[in-house]
Amino acid sequence: MLSYIRFADHTSAFFGKTFGWLIVLMTFGMSYEVLVRYVFNAPTPWALDVSFIMYGTLFMMGGAYTLSRGGHVRGDFIYRTWKQRTQAWMDLTLYILFFFPGIMALVVTGFKYSSRSWGYSEVSVNSPAGIPIYQFKTVIVVAGILLLIQGLAQVFRCIICIRQGYWMEAEDDVEETEELLMKQAAQNQPK
Amino acid sequence: MTDPQIALAMLGIFIACVFLGFPIAFTLMALGIGFGYYAYYDEGRMWRAFNRLGEDAGWWDSATLWFDGYFNNRIFDLFVNQTYTVISNEVLTAIPLFLFMGYIVERANIVDKLFGTLAVATRNVPGSMGVAALITCALFATATGIVGAVVTLMGLLALPQMLKMRYDHSFAAGIICAGGTLGILIPPSIMLIVYAASSGVSIVRLYAAAILPGFTLVGLYLIYIVVRSMLNPKLAPKPTYEELPAVPFGKMMWMLVTSFLPLAILIFSVLGSILFGLATPTEAASIGALGGMVLAVAYRAMTFQRLRESVYLTVRTTAMVCWLFVGSYTFSAVFSYLGGEQVIGDFVKSLDMTPIQFLILAQLIIFLLGWPLEWSEIIIIFVPIFLPLLPLFGVDPLFFGVLVALNLQTSFLTPPMAMSAYYLKGIAPPEVKLMEIFKGVLPYCGMVVLCMILMYQFPQIVFALPEVFYGPSR
Amino acid sequence: QEPLVVKMQTSWPASDIWMDFARQYVERVEAMSGGRLKIDLLPAGAIVGAFQVMDAVSDGVLDICHSVPVYWYGKSKAASFFGTGPVFGGSATTMLGWFYQGGGKELYEELTQQTLGLNVYGMLGMPMPAQPFGWFKNEVNSVADLQGLKYRTVGLAADLLQSMGMSVAQLPGGEIVPAMERGVIDAFEFNNPSSDSRFGAQDVAKNYYLSSYHQASEAFEFVFNKDFMDDLDPDLQAILRHAVEASATANLALAMKEYSADLQKLQTDSGVTVHRTSKEILAAQLAAWDGLITDLGTDPFNAKVMESQRAWVSQVAYYELMNAPDLGLAYEHYFPGKLKL
Ligand code: NA
Ligand code: NA
Repeated sequence: MLSYIRFADHTSAFFGKTFGWLIVLMTFGMSYEVLVRYVFNAPTPWALDVSFIMYGTLFMMGGAYTLSRGGHVRGDFIYRTWKQRTQAWMDLTLYILFFFPGIMALVVTGFKYSSRSWGYSEVSVNSPAGIPIYQFKTVIVVAGILLLIQGLAQVFRCIICIRQGYWMEAEDDVEETEELLMKQAAQNQPK
Repeated sequence: MTDPQIALAMLGIFIACVFLGFPIAFTLMALGIGFGYYAYYDEGRMWRAFNRLGEDAGWWDSATLWFDGYFNNRIFDLFVNQTYTVISNEVLTAIPLFLFMGYIVERANIVDKLFGTLAVATRNVPGSMGVAALITCALFATATGIVGAVVTLMGLLALPQMLKMRYDHSFAAGIICAGGTLGILIPPSIMLIVYAASSGVSIVRLYAAAILPGFTLVGLYLIYIVVRSMLNPKLAPKPTYEELPAVPFGKMMWMLVTSFLPLAILIFSVLGSILFGLATPTEAASIGALGGMVLAVAYRAMTFQRLRESVYLTVRTTAMVCWLFVGSYTFSAVFSYLGGEQVIGDFVKSLDMTPIQFLILAQLIIFLLGWPLEWSEIIIIFVPIFLPLLPLFGVDPLFFGVLVALNLQTSFLTPPMAMSAYYLKGIAPPEVKLMEIFKGVLPYCGMVVLCMILMYQFPQIVFALPEVFYGPSR
Repeated sequence: QEPLVVKMQTSWPASDIWMDFARQYVERVEAMSGGRLKIDLLPAGAIVGAFQVMDAVSDGVLDICHSVPVYWYGKSKAASFFGTGPVFGGSATTMLGWFYQGGGKELYEELTQQTLGLNVYGMLGMPMPAQPFGWFKNEVNSVADLQGLKYRTVGLAADLLQSMGMSVAQLPGGEIVPAMERGVIDAFEFNNPSSDSRFGAQDVAKNYYLSSYHQASEAFEFVFNKDFMDDLDPDLQAILRHAVEASATANLALAMKEYSADLQKLQTDSGVTVHRTSKEILAAQLAAWDGLITDLGTDPFNAKVMESQRAWVSQVAYYELMNAPDLGLAYEHYFPGKLKL
C-alpha cells in the first residue's frame, strides 16, 4: 500500500506540475496577443481559444495533484476536532460513496463525449481559426483517470490511518508563503 | 415528495455533508449526480434497448442490456457537458494568471523596501508606522489578491518594528490583519472573478464597482489609525530620530521611485487596461504576470526555484477553485431542473420583506456562513441561491456582489475562522496574544459595516465608476 | 391524464425577443395537444450553455432546443449552409424553400445523422430578415476601416470577415455586451434591432450598419432528440413538427412589428446613427464569398450542398427578382424623402 501511495503521489505530481508550466506559456501567449494587436493592428484569431484550452488543461490536470496534497477545500471546522481514526473512517466512507461514483462517471461518459468529438475532428466554435478541441475534451477523461489513481491512494491512506491511529505525513512540497513562514517561525521560537 | 421538495432536501443534505469535512468539490459532484439520477430517471428511455429486445433474445444480451439501463441515465451526459462548460469558461481563464502574478510578486522581495520607504515618508503623521503598514498592505494585497501571504509577510516585517517602537499589541496587529485582507476586495481580486462567473455579472463592471468601496474602506481604516493615534499617543508613539533617522528629501524621492512606483505602476496598468477596455481581464492578468516577473528580476529576486514554486502553487490554487465549479455547475443545474430556485423564491416572497430587510438578512446569513466556510465555497455555492431573489427586491447583482465582498472581509477577521488572525499569530512573537489580535481587529469589522451602510445610503459609491466606464447598467 | 412534460432550452438570454418567439411555439404545441404536452421552456444557460444545446439534445439532456445551425459549426462547417451561407441571390425565405422543397432537409439529415452521428431530428422555422452588418464605435466606410477590428459574428460569416482582415470571435448573444465591455471584441453584429437593443448594443456602440451580405439569410433551428420523438404518439409527433411551421408565421408577424419599432426607437431615444453598409464593403464581401466558396468546395459534401443551393437559387430567385415590383418606388411615392438607400 505504501509503495502504491508513493506511486500515485508521484504520478499526480508529475502530471500536475508538468501541465502547470502552461501558466508560463499562457502568460507569454496572451502578452503576445496584446503586443500584436496594439503594435501591428493584427490580433490573432486563436488567443481566445488557446487561453481557455490552457486554463482548462492546467486546472483539470492539476486536480489529482491537488488532491494528493490535501489542497481541495473542505468544510473542516468540525472534522478537525475529531480523532484521526474517526476522520479516516469518515473519509473512507465518503471516498466510496461520493468520490468514486462521480469520477467514474467523469471517465466513462467523458470517454463517450470526447470520442464523439474525435469522430468529427471537432474544432472550436469560438473562432474561424479552427482550433481543434477534441484533444481538449479528452482532458476530462485523463483528469478523471488521474483522480481515480490518486483516489485509490487516498483510500489506502485512510486504511493505514485506521490501523495506525494517525495520518501519515505527506512528502514535502512547495508550500504557500504563509504556511512556510509560519513553520519557520514555529521552529525559530523557543518552546 | 414533489420535485421542488426533493430539491430542498438536496440542499439540506448538502449543507449537512459540508460539515463532514470531505472535499466540497467532490461532495457537490456526488450529490449533483445522485439527485440528478433521480431527476432524469426515466424507465422508458433508460431501458429502451432492453424493452425492444425480441422474444428470442439470448439471456446474455438481455442481462447486459438490462444492466446497461442503469447507466443510461441522462445525468451523466449533463455532468460531462457541464464540466466542459467550466473548462471552456472564458471569464475563469483570468484566475490562474492573477494567481501566478500574485505568487511572483510575493517572492519579489518587494515588501521590505516598500514598507521601509513609506515608514520614513509618513514619519510626521500620527501613527506613522501604522499608516505605512496599512498602505503597504493595501498596495501589496491589491497585487496579490490572496490573504495569507500579505498578512504573514507584513507580520514578519512590520509587526516587529512597530513593537520595537512600543506600539500597542492590539493596535499593531489589527492594522496588519485588516490591511492584509483588503486584497480580496480591491481589484484585481480573484474573489470578484469567481463572483462574476457564478452570477453572470460583467467582471469589468464588478471591478469598476469595487474600486470606490475599496478606497472608502482604506480611507476609513486610515482615518481610524490617525485619529486613535492622536487621541491616545501611547498606542502609537512617534518614532525618535535614533529609532528612525530622517532622510534627505532627494534620497527619499529616489526611495519612493524605486520601491513604491514600480508596483504602483504595475497595478494601475493592469487595472487601467481592464477599465478602459484596452485589454481583457485575462490579457491584463498576463501582462501583470509578465510585469511581476520583470519586477522580480529588477529586484534580483527571480530564481528558477521561485518561478517553479509560483507555477506549482498556481496549479494547486487554480485547481482548488475551479474544481469547485465543476461540482457546483452540475449541482445547481440539477437543483434548478428540480425547481429548487422556484420554491425558495416563493418562500422568500411569502415572507413579505422590504428590500432593506432582505439585504440585512442575506448579509447576515453570508456573514454567518463565513465562520465555518471559505470565501470560495460561499461564493460558488451559496451566493447563487440568493441571486435569483435579487430581482424580487430590485437589488442590482452588481451592488450585491460588492456588499458580499465587503462582508467577507469580516470572515477573515472574526473568530472562529479568523484566518488573518491565525496567520498573524502563527508568525508573531509569542508576547502577542491571540486575544490581543482579536481585540485589535474588532474595530475594523465595525468599519466594514460602516462602509456597507455608506454604500447603501450612497449607492453611487458602487455605481459611479461602472457608469462612467461602461454606461448605464442593464 | 398527466401531461407529458418536455424540456426545451433555447440559445437565447431570457430577455431576448427570441424567447417570445419560442414561447409562441410552446403555446401552439400546448393548445394543439389539448394539454397532453407541456413544454418547460428555458433560456440559455438554464441547463446547458447556448452553444451546447445540440450536444445536449443528442444526448437527451434536453428534449428540444431552439437555436441556429451555426452554433454547432465547430462539428462541421457545413452546418452553416443550413443557417447562413453563401449569398447566391436568395433571401431567407428562398433558402427556407430550399430546405423543405429543394433537397436541403435530406442533406441536413445526411450531415447530422450519418456523418456526425447525432441522435436528432432537425427542422427550420422562421426565415429571418437579412442581418445588419452590426455595431461599431466609429464609422466604417471602407475595407481599410475594418482591418484589425475584433468582431463578433457566427458561422461562415466568421470565416468571411476573417478573410477580410477582421479578427473574429463567435459568442452567444447573451455574452456580446459583456465581451465588448471586457475588450474581447470591439465591434459586433447579432441579428436584428429588437434583440440587439434588448441586450444593450446601443450602450456600447452608436453606429448601426444595415444591409449586408454576411448573413443575408438564416432561419431558426428546432432540434428534437430522436428517441424522444420516436417514442411519441404519431399525432403528438405531428403537432411538434407542424407547430414549427405555424410558429414561423406567428414569429414573422411579431418580428415585423417589433424589429421595425425598435429600429425607430434606437434612432430617436438612444442616439444611434443608422447607416447602410458601404458599396465598397459590400463588394468586398461578395469577393470574399467567392474565395470562401472555392475553399469550401474542395470538400465533396460542401460542394454537393452548394451545388444544390446554387441550382435552387438560380431558378427560384430568378422568378422572385424578376417578379418583384420595385417596392422602394411605391414607398417613396407615399412617404417621400424618408428612405436613404
Ligand atoms: Na486584489
Ligand atoms: Na448574426
